[in-house]
Amino acid sequence: MAQTAQDDPALRERFERDVLPLLPSLYGAALRLTRNPADAEDLVQETYLRAYRGFAGFREGTNLKAWLYRILTNSFINTYRKKQREPQTVEGPDDADEWYLFDRLGSQSVEGSAEDEVLERIPDAAVKTALESLPENFRIPVLLADVEGFSYKEIAEIMETPIGTVMSRLHRGRKALERALWETAKERGLVDG
Amino acid sequence: MDDCGPECQEALRELERFLDRELDDVVRTKVERHLSGCGTCTDRLEFRVHLKALIQTKCSERELPAGLEERVRRVLSTSEAGESG
Repeated sequence: MAQTAQDDPALRERFERDVLPLLPSLYGAALRLTRNPADAEDLVQETYLRAYRGFAGFREGTNLKAWLYRILTNSFINTYRKKQREPQTVEGPDDADEWYLFDRLGSQSVEGSAEDEVLERIPDAAVKTALESLPENFRIPVLLADVEGFSYKEIAEIMETPIGTVMSRLHRGRKALERALWETAKERGLVDG
Repeated sequence: MDDCGPECQEALRELERFLDRELDDVVRTKVERHLSGCGTCTDRLEFRVHLKALIQTKCSERELPAGLEERVRRVLSTSEAGESG
């Protein structure tokens, strides 16, 4: 029977050294997935427990962060997809609207950097809410690419989907996020709708 | 963008992968060469670079809830007692 972290002190030590420091970024991702702190804490706890039990199967030298995020994503989908009924399609700008946000912000002012300044003024909480408004199929790749900095290949591994699917969901997810950010900016009077 | 020529359209088509550092060297160099001479495409790239950075900054959590690390450590210890063997 395979060794587990529980009965191997060296494995346990390595787990504490390498995996526990990822707790803050994992919690942040869990919060974007579950959309509330109590569920995020439960999800993180479950993820760590599963990771701990399976740590002997993790090959040292391979991508630890991606391995841990795959456990997080699977735990989230298994536990919370049933709880959080939501549409799995995204209502984004259509294909002609490739530069949805750029074009709209650009028409607001003659200042060269004004687009950026409008975005900066959107409060953090509102940007988080905009991201959280995306259906999970689109939210997960955007979260993994833009917040966590994973590559397409890593995201494909984490989500267990082909890389082409990752790219198209990421693309559509980002467009939907641009639309959500524009709506948020409008609601706050940061732009003239 | 309507005024853009085929070179711009080609560069813009690759811009997302350029932004994500997912292009191979040949295509990346080609896009870089175009960008160095095209302000329109550079503006668009810079907008997306900024947007990506902004999403990362604004969607990251800087603080863990009090007690979460302790809670996780406790679960691991309990698991050790209950699951070993």
